[in-house]
Amino acid sequence: MLARKMLRDISKHKAQFISIFLMAFLGVFVFAGVGGESVGLEVNVNDYYDETNLADGWIYSNYINDLFLYQVDVLGATTDMERQLVVDSVGDFKNDPDITLHFVENNTISKFYLIEGEKLDINDENGVWLDKSFADAKGLKVGDNISFEFADYEITKTIRGLGYSPEYVYHASSSSVIPDFDKIGFAYMSYKAFPEDTVPYNVLNVKFEGNPETYSELLDYHMGGYYNSFVEKSQHVSVNQFSEEMAQHEMMGDIFPVVFILIAMLILLTTMRRIITHQRTQIGILKASGFKNHSIILHYVSYGFWLVLIGAILGLILGPMTLPQLFYPSMSATYKLPSWNPAWSMNFVYVAALMVIMSLAVSYYSVKNISNEKPADTIRPKTPKVSTSGFVEKLSIWKRLSFNARWNWRDAKRNKSRALMTIIGVIGCSALLVCAFGMYDGMNDLKEWEYSDINHYDSKLVVDDNASVSQIDNVADNVDGDKIMESSIEIESDNAKKSGSLLVVNDTDLITPTDYDRNHVEIKDDEVSISQKMADMLGVKVGDNVKWHIMGSDKWVTTKIDKIHADPISQGFIMSQDKLEDLDLNYTTTSIITSQHVDKEYDGVKVTNSMKDMTSSWDEMTESMWLLIYILIFFAALLAIVVLYNLGLLSFTEIEREIATLKVLGFKTSALRKLLLTQNLWFTAIGFILGLPVGYIILDIMWASSGDSFYILPSITLTNFLLTAVITFALSIFVNLMFSRKIKRLDMVESLKSGE
Amino acid sequence: MSTIIEFKNVVKEYQSGDHILKAMDNVNFTVDEGEFVVILGPSGAGKSTLLNLLGGLDSVTSGQIIVNDNHIDSFNDNQLTQYRAKNVGFIFQFYNLIPNLTAIENVELMKDIVDVKIDGLSVLDSVGLKDHANQFPAQLSGGEQQRVSIARAVAKQPTMLLCDEPTGALDSKTGVLILNLLQSMSNNQNTTVIIVTHNAILAEAADKVIRIKNGQIESITINDNPKKVTDLEW
Repeated sequence: MLARKMLRDISKHKAQFISIFLMAFLGVFVFAGVGGESVGLEVNVNDYYDETNLADGWIYSNYINDLFLYQVDVLGATTDMERQLVVDSVGDFKNDPDITLHFVENNTISKFYLIEGEKLDINDENGVWLDKSFADAKGLKVGDNISFEFADYEITKTIRGLGYSPEYVYHASSSSVIPDFDKIGFAYMSYKAFPEDTVPYNVLNVKFEGNPETYSELLDYHMGGYYNSFVEKSQHVSVNQFSEEMAQHEMMGDIFPVVFILIAMLILLTTMRRIITHQRTQIGILKASGFKNHSIILHYVSYGFWLVLIGAILGLILGPMTLPQLFYPSMSATYKLPSWNPAWSMNFVYVAALMVIMSLAVSYYSVKNISNEKPADTIRPKTPKVSTSGFVEKLSIWKRLSFNARWNWRDAKRNKSRALMTIIGVIGCSALLVCAFGMYDGMNDLKEWEYSDINHYDSKLVVDDNASVSQIDNVADNVDGDKIMESSIEIESDNAKKSGSLLVVNDTDLITPTDYDRNHVEIKDDEVSISQKMADMLGVKVGDNVKWHIMGSDKWVTTKIDKIHADPISQGFIMSQDKLEDLDLNYTTTSIITSQHVDKEYDGVKVTNSMKDMTSSWDEMTESMWLLIYILIFFAALLAIVVLYNLGLLSFTEIEREIATLKVLGFKTSALRKLLLTQNLWFTAIGFILGLPVGYIILDIMWASSGDSFYILPSITLTNFLLTAVITFALSIFVNLMFSRKIKRLDMVESLKSGE
Repeated sequence: MSTIIEFKNVVKEYQSGDHILKAMDNVNFTVDEGEFVVILGPSGAGKSTLLNLLGGLDSVTSGQIIVNDNHIDSFNDNQLTQYRAKNVGFIFQFYNLIPNLTAIENVELMKDIVDVKIDGLSVLDSVGLKDHANQFPAQLSGGEQQRVSIARAVAKQPTMLLCDEPTGALDSKTGVLILNLLQSMSNNQNTTVIIVTHNAILAEAADKVIRIKNGQIESITINDNPKKVTDLEW
């Protein structure tokens, strides 16, 4: 019979129970959905790396002979190794695509991941296993022939299989961040396919035990001078790029859902407590009629339990099933993984369980408190809290306040916890909105800053590695361009060691370093400027000395910092050619920038990128970020509606009798609506104002964890700030409108019947 | 004395599932200005329905209700709200004061709905509660709360006071006090007072007694010499 009562109660207070269900569902849905996306990425890529046995490190050397192998082996830490020859070739196509060829000894480390065709056969002299993305872009099939040109050779092989490689999850040319699979690819072949008998192996893939730093030191100690460089897994371009992407997803997947679920949980718990408190007299009646305490407790505890449980389970299942599918398509255009599956983490289950347990506990204690009283007390409604006149009422202004203001002031004072919950709900929602819009603005601002304020050339011509100085000068003259050098560097201070970038310019006005406020920072010929973020990470300031070297060379130099500039996406040094050469380092032009729009192809130029290409690559790269921002905004708004509606409903039930009285006395519906709206707007205003700094803090944490290369400070444009305000208040008013219908339909007679 | 309220062939039906419930079946009566009217009947007789119709809380199925020459049976929601605000002073069994407002604020609240000058303190004085003006309902006794509610009702100078079991929640001594207050308002200030109750003793104090049963008028009695409430035997 009690079960029937429960079902009737639920159907009578549909809206309230639906909102309980929705909060449980939404909280877990978003938490597990956004989390499932980033966990999914991690699981997919790690499975892929494991399955293909990705190398732990790569040793680059020109002398990888048997003695070399022996010496690497006797280091002790090495568990497995395999040689390959990696060369850049040009594919025989109209657009001269860059194909990186791997001649492998047996391909047990960093294995080619076959998607179609035959498995890689180490005895096959004529076969090639080709990058599937490239093959798709060129319309190549298994069985087709393909020709490559490298050094003095031109070879033609038959495609035996198509697939991916763990070393090429991310594969883009040095000139563009976004991969263009029509222009770039890779291919694996047996060492037997190499045109000579002796293969000049240049890369040794190693698997080792222990941490990479130790291994690197060990290697340096025993074999220093016999190899050019050692790259450990986390520094590998593809691995590194993908883990940075994962880090970005993770930071958003961490902070936002946590805030979200906290709000949902908070409101959920208060709602449950209130629903039970409202049933106080009924609990008294049940007790008076002889129901045992524990069956009453069981009855009320099961109220919310099933809804929260079902909501949480549905969220747990549907979240990871749906939300990741929104992100993966845009990501799979840039990154090549054999599978894109969302994953579940035990954390989601723990959080969902915590939610269910907490709602159980809250219901339990609420009923327990009531049922511990004597039935005679319980059966009577709780004596209403006495309003008191505080100092506000003593002010002379009080007399002049309207009824509306007085009523609302006292109502809020009498129901402090309800007021607090509403305000916290609004704080949460406006903080999420501020955060989402702040990300939106930050992303836009970053693009504007990087691609318009700092860099204002029209085309960037990336110089071929083999281009001669005269070729470069010739091109520069032709396009009236300025030569620059860009390189990866590693900087070390007393406190930290970080990798970054180096930009060497020759008195160009096409790149204008700025500070954070976009003011031009002038770097003189004999000065070195460090980017703000890099300075912060290294803990250095103007006047300090730092040690640094260009990646791939082990020549360390020490430089004094003369200036600090700011850059949103590249952290490191800017200096002149003179300064670089003063430091006894070689200058090599890597790109030519020009204000002209260049369509023509030049000898010695690998690729030409226009500013438009770069901004559209940027847009493509950040697509998943945008998507996340929209999802943030959508769910923040949805949560706001549920929270405000739910709290509005609770307070409406509580003051229903008063509203009915006022209506009977002759107050117009519009006046009563205004009465409720006033309170709603006050709380919304307070919540909104307090939500701003909270949103700012969340945004700050998000940007701070966006990776070493990004430098964005939390800020929001006036427009979006106003938009946040408009959305918050519009939602509040919208929810209020839902109640005006209730006021209109309120049964005056019924509401007045019951006594106090 | 002029007639200010008239019920003409009033029928009120409620649809409940498939069958129709007749709560008010062809009811006719009039009330004169300043009359002290008691409407008597057992529970379920239709007292509340009558009160709701007269108070503008519900509308008739057929028939006419004329108050101050206005056909309130044809009023829409907005007009009914206006009507309630201007013409009806409600007094409820459970007082229904606004708990967040002090006694005087509850009275002066009426300024928000009618265009009448209200001196809250003097109205409270007239019900003997001047000293409690700044107290909240929860700080007052039941009788005091009911007196505030009467003060609130008379403050707007309505056409009638409509009282639904006004002493139902009070002990008999306090009840007499309240009824006496209402009767004296009718006698001294020519206020029309209509009391709905199941307590037959009150009939002797009324100018007019309307007895209803099963939704119909059973009898209408006019007392030429009504007793004073304080002289009744409770």
